[in-house]
Amino acid sequence: MNTNTSIEQAANNKKMQDAFIELGRNFGLTVYGVFAIFPIVWMLLMSFKSDAEVVTTIFKFTPTVSNYLAVLFRPDSDYIKAFIQNFIVSGGAVLLTMIAGVPAAYALARYDFKNKEGWAFQILSFKFAPEILVILPIFLIFQRAGLYDTYFGLIWVYQLITMPLLIWVVRGYFEDISVEVEQAAQLDGYSWYAVFFKVLLPLVKPGLVASGLLAFIFAWNSFTFPLILSGMKVQTITITSLRYMASDAVHYGQVAVAAIVAVLPEIVICLFIQKHLVRGLSFGAVKG
Amino acid sequence: MARIELENITMRYKNMPAGAAAVDHLSLDIKNNEFFVLFGPAGAGKTTTLKVIAGIEFPQEGLVKIGGEIVNLVEPMNRNVSMVFENYALYPHLSVYDNIAFPMRSPLHKKDEEYIKKAVERVAEMMKINGLYARKPSQLSNGQRQRVAIGRCLVREPNVFLMDEPLAHLDAKLRHFMRGELKEMQNAFNTTTIYVTHDFMEAMSLADRIAVMNKGKIEQLGTALQMYYTPVNEFVACLFGEPEITIFPAEASDENGRFVLKALGQKTPLIPEPDAARTLKERGVTSVDLGIRGIDIGFSFSPQDSDRIKGTVYAFEPIGNKVIMTVEVNGAKIRIAAPNNTKADLDQTVYITCNMKNALYFDGGSKVFITRSAIQTYR
Repeated sequence: MNTNTSIEQAANNKKMQDAFIELGRNFGLTVYGVFAIFPIVWMLLMSFKSDAEVVTTIFKFTPTVSNYLAVLFRPDSDYIKAFIQNFIVSGGAVLLTMIAGVPAAYALARYDFKNKEGWAFQILSFKFAPEILVILPIFLIFQRAGLYDTYFGLIWVYQLITMPLLIWVVRGYFEDISVEVEQAAQLDGYSWYAVFFKVLLPLVKPGLVASGLLAFIFAWNSFTFPLILSGMKVQTITITSLRYMASDAVHYGQVAVAAIVAVLPEIVICLFIQKHLVRGLSFGAVKG
Repeated sequence: MARIELENITMRYKNMPAGAAAVDHLSLDIKNNEFFVLFGPAGAGKTTTLKVIAGIEFPQEGLVKIGGEIVNLVEPMNRNVSMVFENYALYPHLSVYDNIAFPMRSPLHKKDEEYIKKAVERVAEMMKINGLYARKPSQLSNGQRQRVAIGRCLVREPNVFLMDEPLAHLDAKLRHFMRGELKEMQNAFNTTTIYVTHDFMEAMSLADRIAVMNKGKIEQLGTALQMYYTPVNEFVACLFGEPEITIFPAEASDENGRFVLKALGQKTPLIPEPDAARTLKERGVTSVDLGIRGIDIGFSFSPQDSDRIKGTVYAFEPIGNKVIMTVEVNGAKIRIAAPNNTKADLDQTVYITCNMKNALYFDGGSKVFITRSAIQTYR
């Protein structure tokens, strides 16, 4: 009888404790959620405010769509054009990075060649230098080579931002795959290319997707390179957004609209890609 | 379905010190439909030999022939060999069914889905994994993964099956069962099989012929019984048999015109069988290493006659079907296979006697086999 009650008591205590932990966890997550989402909400509100009301901190205002009209639909606004061009440049950069970077990552993971680690570090070091430091020589080279203000020029120079990341992430994924898995597939009657596409690529997919996404975000948000290396023909939204900060006045409402539109593709892609971001796909291939 | 020949194969890995080789001038001729076992300790070069045959590793020297054709420059995919890897090498993104079906969906060995279904079911039943079709390798136990790997190998009809310790991670009961299945299957399929193991019981029970490898070279090539009864040296003798054979040094001497061996600090000599004694005498050996297997040593706990050697019990290990008793005699440890009902305390006095009919004589210096009694019957 006595022991029974004490067991019940212990069980009750445990329940209480669990409830508290649950409560604390939910509270913490809520705080973080507000912290993360608030800027976006604030930006959204701002985009509907007129310039006069934009700095008020109370939530009461007369909504207006004039900012949207000004940024997106005014005939002399080329924001949409910049958006499309930004997409072409960033998408192209990521595509090129994948086509060139995956084989490079494979080589660094599998083959044994002279000064391998040196090469790998050299690739990573491209990301070390501040962009502003290398931009001048690149600018001069681009002018001479006729790459200034072209899609390809930007796509090429974006490789400095996107490639090192992808190579290093995907290399790690390749290293996780046992060599025997490749050899087994070859013995099963597949050529090397078939092995690559049927076995290796599905296994590195999570890494490829994650680093591809990050690379896209880096390229999409890049500012310094397009600022210097492109002019009138090719524009990216990071540069075009500057236009709404005129010398006399900053049109915060219009900046907010530009920012919202700029963030959209990243959010959409993130949501689409989420399910591919699973870790440890290669687990189970070999003896655990 | 093919004869496999290796001629003077030498395989060095990049990071090996100069002069060392994983496989060192190895030559083998494996007959068509033979069940051939490569046996030896870790690092002997067994797996490397398999990989050379499979074409995954390219030897620096020597020729590989499959079915009489030189295949040194043939890609692995075109050699039509099927291999079980020691670490399974399953495709982690595919289900068990798709893993086993994978070879039959390749451009080279393409089969229609109906055939594949039948073939997969056949091997899955044999491997007892037919309830696991939908699972991914990560959801399997090690034993199950190993069976999937064997299944993927057996589902094909290749020139040769290469099996790298395929039963190493199964539990004892399943291993025993699979041993029988493999042997049965090999008879039914009529396919050459090269099987790597470091378990002497597997080697002896499965093999038509065994090659004992050590340091990239073949120590001995022959049938299981030849290995057991006439090992070429002490290394091979120690690999076969449970408990491990006891080898101790003995001095040849002449006692009233009789050739006898003095060992273990005993006054009473050990008397070799006449035919063995004759050979030893002819060779003029003075120091002999005497090898005696555990089952050839008799023991009692009372001094039944004066010839018995006195020792003390050093260790006592019941292993189910027998007891392995280690007896210490003048510092030498002698391993005895005792019946299951034996009872002994540590440090208890025990009297042993050696059955010289099955004693093996090795050269005391070079450790090479010299002779044994009735050697003709084992050749």
